[in-house]
Amino acid sequence: MSKQDSKSIADEANRMWASASFVGVLIVIGLPLWWKTTEVYRVALPYDEINAFNTESHHITTDITVLANDELTAATIAELLKKEFEQYDVIKLNIKQQILSEDLQQTLDAVAEEQEALEEVAATFDTSLHNAFYVVQRKQLFQDVWVGTERVAFFRDTKAAPTLIEALKSWIYEPSVLHGARSETADAARQVRFPSGEGFHVVLSVVHPKPQAMKVDFDAAEAVEDYIGSFVDELTDLHNFTLKSQWLHLLEFNFQTNEVPEASLWGRHFPARYERLPLLLTRLEERAATHVSDRPALNLALYVAPCDVAPLAMYDADNNRVMSAVQAFMSPKWGGVVLGNPTKEECEQKLYTPDVKLIMGTFISQLRKLLGITDKELIHLAHLEPLRSVVPRRWELDSLLRIRTLEQVTSAERSLKSLAKLLGEISNIVINDEVGASINQAVASIHSARRLMTEGELLAAHHHAQQAFLAADSAFMEPSLLALLYFPDDQKYAIYIPLFLPVMFPVILSLKNLLLWLRGKPLHKEKTD
Amino acid sequence: MLANIKKVFSFVILLFTLNLCDAVEIPERFQKSNHTNNWAVLVDTSRFWFNYRHVANALSIYRSVKRLGIPDSQIILMISDDMACNPRNPRPATVFNNAHEQINVYGDDVEVDYRGYEVSVESFVRLLTGRVPPDTPRSKRLLTDEGSNILIYLTGHGGDGFLKFQDSEEITSQELADALEQMWQKRRYNEIFCIIDTCQASSMYEKFYSPNILATASSLVGEDSLSHHVDSAIGVYIIDRYTYYVLEFLENVNPSSKKTMSEFLAVCPKKVCISTVGVRRDLFKRDPSKVPITDFFGSVRRVIITTDPIDIQEVPKRRKNISLNKTKVQEKREYLPQFPMHLVKTTV
Repeated sequence: MSKQDSKSIADEANRMWASASFVGVLIVIGLPLWWKTTEVYRVALPYDEINAFNTESHHITTDITVLANDELTAATIAELLKKEFEQYDVIKLNIKQQILSEDLQQTLDAVAEEQEALEEVAATFDTSLHNAFYVVQRKQLFQDVWVGTERVAFFRDTKAAPTLIEALKSWIYEPSVLHGARSETADAARQVRFPSGEGFHVVLSVVHPKPQAMKVDFDAAEAVEDYIGSFVDELTDLHNFTLKSQWLHLLEFNFQTNEVPEASLWGRHFPARYERLPLLLTRLEERAATHVSDRPALNLALYVAPCDVAPLAMYDADNNRVMSAVQAFMSPKWGGVVLGNPTKEECEQKLYTPDVKLIMGTFISQLRKLLGITDKELIHLAHLEPLRSVVPRRWELDSLLRIRTLEQVTSAERSLKSLAKLLGEISNIVINDEVGASINQAVASIHSARRLMTEGELLAAHHHAQQAFLAADSAFMEPSLLALLYFPDDQKYAIYIPLFLPVMFPVILSLKNLLLWLRGKPLHKEKTD
Repeated sequence: MLANIKKVFSFVILLFTLNLCDAVEIPERFQKSNHTNNWAVLVDTSRFWFNYRHVANALSIYRSVKRLGIPDSQIILMISDDMACNPRNPRPATVFNNAHEQINVYGDDVEVDYRGYEVSVESFVRLLTGRVPPDTPRSKRLLTDEGSNILIYLTGHGGDGFLKFQDSEEITSQELADALEQMWQKRRYNEIFCIIDTCQASSMYEKFYSPNILATASSLVGEDSLSHHVDSAIGVYIIDRYTYYVLEFLENVNPSSKKTMSEFLAVCPKKVCISTVGVRRDLFKRDPSKVPITDFFGSVRRVIITTDPIDIQEVPKRRKNISLNKTKVQEKREYLPQFPMHLVKTTV
């Protein structure tokens, strides 16, 4: 072997080691590094748990105690109740039965008023507990069933059982509404009430189209504070509220109406036709400026009718005049409007003093529906004590808690399931640590809410359901999910290929030589002269 | 052999079932919409004076949907450039959509939600998916729910599979389809009607895969959408052909009219439009000929008459929150010295 040969072999080896190191840096280190660093960042998520959610399977357990004068009545009522509610999978009754003590029986029979009887029951049994309800026998009833504001219903005897069951079904427990709260499509009640949320912004606007023609004596701020404030204070377990009042002057609305004569002090009225009413909402919305708050707004408006179109009288969809103490309407998920009609005398004196109790009573009635307290239909032979104050009935609050708990748990589950599905479908969604944390928190809260619902711990269940709902929603709506919006997969290669291909070409081409050399084969055929 | 017979047999069964499916009529109630509110997203994506017509397009549609009853709070209007204040506009503070200059579509109550450089692919996708920055005001959010019918109108310059925003970036048809899918998964709409007036517009809806979307486009792939006419006083084309005929159609619609979506889809035939209007209806469950046009262009607002005021016996007094501390000491504020003399060591 000549000296030159050995030198060329050594050269060869150097060259090959150089090219091997290029290969090492670019392919062995560079390629995986590039792959790793350009990966869409996604925190590991509990996909199995999320996919295992069954949104249609939730139910709430609730306590009901049957208190009767004798063993037989209690057993019969309990048995009938159990049978009736077995068909609903959304609510499970935990029925207890008990005999009323002699003392209590006598006092219940002795007191004349139902309200007093209620107090007697409340003295013995704890009616302040959420999710506990008492069905009490009281022989002195005029009707079959009597329901008041407390978590107590009176019934007369065993014959009243069908009425009692009907009252429990359509007033107290409302299994159909509960079913609607967890189902995919919105039922009638869900189409009216606002969707679940952390808080609401309640705005009372007093609309005074012609302030130059008449004075209005109404302290809107105080009315909001006293009436609406007292009402929403009762709902603090469900939502937070911010309250606001404002005056909107010179906001005119053309009802496109003609005078209709009638026999009254005014001698006339102006019809506010049904089809014009939605347009009034649009007109109000222009000025109400409710988007100053980042919470969903509940709009309440008192429209003071100018004297030249007073009194305004509402007509329903069939063009019949609405005969009611107050001219008012509401729009689902929006709010309510009351038309304030000054009397003829007030117009002459140019000073209108609205009936605050009536107007605020109307607003409260509308607010109840908008926040999810359903209308109570009349039941034959059952008496529902009408409301006399702004405070909702205690069992209505329980019912609302149940509705919102179910709604929020199922909504959170749906959001998470959708998100998991989307992550599979769309590749460039980023899940950063924060989003991952809120998804995990939502999953944990769903589990605990579910457990608490089955145990019947209503207040705690609602708290966890709300947390789950908010966490899931914020995870889905997190702006950082779109971090790679301008960097989709197909465009990734458009950027990398011109950048790396010129470098990669010689490296890849040298691979062949490198492999041959490693196998110990000569690279160049010996030239024979 | 046996396998073959099996195959043929199953094929016959398949044919049979297909026939059966064809024969089943969609019941009447499915034709009724169950939406509870209406929203409109109107986007003009192009800037510069010579694109005056795109701004006029979007503003004209805005005017029409507003006339038909969608309130401003439920219209998201994105206008890329301010034509009314353009120095080249011979009629400042106006935008016209017709050479007769009868209607100033930039009237006194136009609420532009996103304007100028705010109109970008990012803000559009964020708007649709709801993933807006947390400080976004409610008026700039698409607060739709499971009962919302949304009208989406896009105008600008497009190509095969994309729509150009602001002359600098583009949204691809895949991105738009993905955004709509994310809306569907979050139940943020009931039905969508998407109108696209760009060149090669039908390429934008081809990738859609979410249900309940009806889409129409001013031109097929490979075709250009043309403008309608020039206003020689303003000096630019002032409206596109497709939108011109759409508006002509919408002018005859009022909130109570019974026109159907299929009439809308047939607007602008080839002989007047020059381009072919494309329609995609396979994702849409209802029959367009049974859908009133007001399901998308009008606004439903249910009204419930209240007749049961609560008879409040005594005026409630709210328990005052003690935490509302009004005697808080005012924070003392003062101006900083104009020249930071305190930092300089005086030699005196």
